[in-house]
Amino acid sequence: MKYLLIKELRLAASPLSYIFLVASLMTLLPGYPILMSAFFICFGIFHSFQSAREANDTLYTVLLPVKKRDFVRAKFIFTCLIQAAGFVLCAALTVLRMTLLADAGPYVSNALMNATPYYLTFVLLIFTAFNVLFVGGFFKTGYKIGIPFLIFGIAAFLLIVPAEILPHIPGLAFLHTPSGERLGLQLILLLGAAVIWGISTVLACRKAEERFEKIDL
Amino acid sequence: MKVLEVQGLRKQYPSFLLEDVSFSMEAGRNMGLIGRNGAGKTTTLKSIFNLVHPDAGSIRLLGADMPAEERKIKQRIGFAGGAVDYYKRKKLREIVAVTKRFYENWDDEICRRYSTAFSLDDEKTPLQLSEGMRVKFSLMLALSHHAELLILDEPTSGLDPVSRAELLDTFLFLKEKGVSILFSTHITTDLEKCADDITYLAKGRLITSEPLAGYLSANAKKGNGASLEEIMVSVEKESLHEILAD
Repeated sequence: MKYLLIKELRLAASPLSYIFLVASLMTLLPGYPILMSAFFICFGIFHSFQSAREANDTLYTVLLPVKKRDFVRAKFIFTCLIQAAGFVLCAALTVLRMTLLADAGPYVSNALMNATPYYLTFVLLIFTAFNVLFVGGFFKTGYKIGIPFLIFGIAAFLLIVPAEILPHIPGLAFLHTPSGERLGLQLILLLGAAVIWGISTVLACRKAEERFEKIDL
Repeated sequence: MKVLEVQGLRKQYPSFLLEDVSFSMEAGRNMGLIGRNGAGKTTTLKSIFNLVHPDAGSIRLLGADMPAEERKIKQRIGFAGGAVDYYKRKKLREIVAVTKRFYENWDDEICRRYSTAFSLDDEKTPLQLSEGMRVKFSLMLALSHHAELLILDEPTSGLDPVSRAELLDTFLFLKEKGVSILFSTHITTDLEKCADDITYLAKGRLITSEPLAGYLSANAKKGNGASLEEIMVSVEKESLHEILAD
């Protein structure tokens, strides 16, 4: 698996997967739907799948002395590594906004979502949607990326819109106060999302392994 | 010792059926897999390498069952679908550096020797290589891990006559080194230069699998022609006019 990961990083990955980690900086933007950061991080990973497909990465890999399921696993692990890097950056910037920048005018008067654990919860849910719908969907065929990404895009939209609306419902404003309120509850939500991300990704990977094993290349 | 045993191979596609294909290959021999376009050569080779899943049949490579012992088998054989067509914008040395990690028997010295013999510049990318050079790169990767059996799908297609002759010479050289080669082609003159045995497929069925010399002499006696090309034309030629008239 180690060698397959090296192969992912040195041959298959698109530089855009790393460059799009910069989208984490959107966490700092006031007056902007900051959950788009998670979408763009996933968009960067999508580019690796696209460039790998154009480079016949699948054929190269299955000719190596590896099992087809190892190829699937390596793609999921690569995806998770990029997502983990993106999440760490988003989390660090969230802490910055909630502490040193908590009283900054633009954040205090921000009509849209502020960066809080609630925001990070939805970052993880968007990552989950990507892993299940896009990466899992890709391995139905081993080459089609357009439709799985479209489905993921719709799912991301359906997560981002209610996530932005929810804090405007009476009684839920605490979800996006700049300095963070009821942090215990928010951290429980975040932990729950982390569990969902982990379990869903493992299940999606197993399903993808089964599907990919049956594909004729 | 048999390096390859294919028994009762069957694969059904919506518009094509490969049925009851059985043949075997002895160590140290070169076998040509021949047939017209669409005869089932690529499906057979891909089935052998577990790239497609046969509906029935069994495959043994170097005495081990495929796909049960896939990883172990792949350590000892090489597959190339003609010219390298992956990572076309990566330098050859990058592809080699990653590939070598997967093979227990990778030999840097052998790799360097083949690279020199094939005049491969490892600072180039596959995109910068000719078709013939990309086939050679593909062979270099397979040979650097001491593959005992090479399975090549149409390795000479698209090559100019000189590159083709060079490649066929390489096959003969490898045979002397004890490497067995199974390669598909529809260029029959290639086989007459370097194959010991042929396996002939037509419309998804096995016509024969036997030593080439015996097949040629038997068909010459029957009046089917003296060369493989003449035999194939005699066996398979269909009148387009008759088909259209039907």
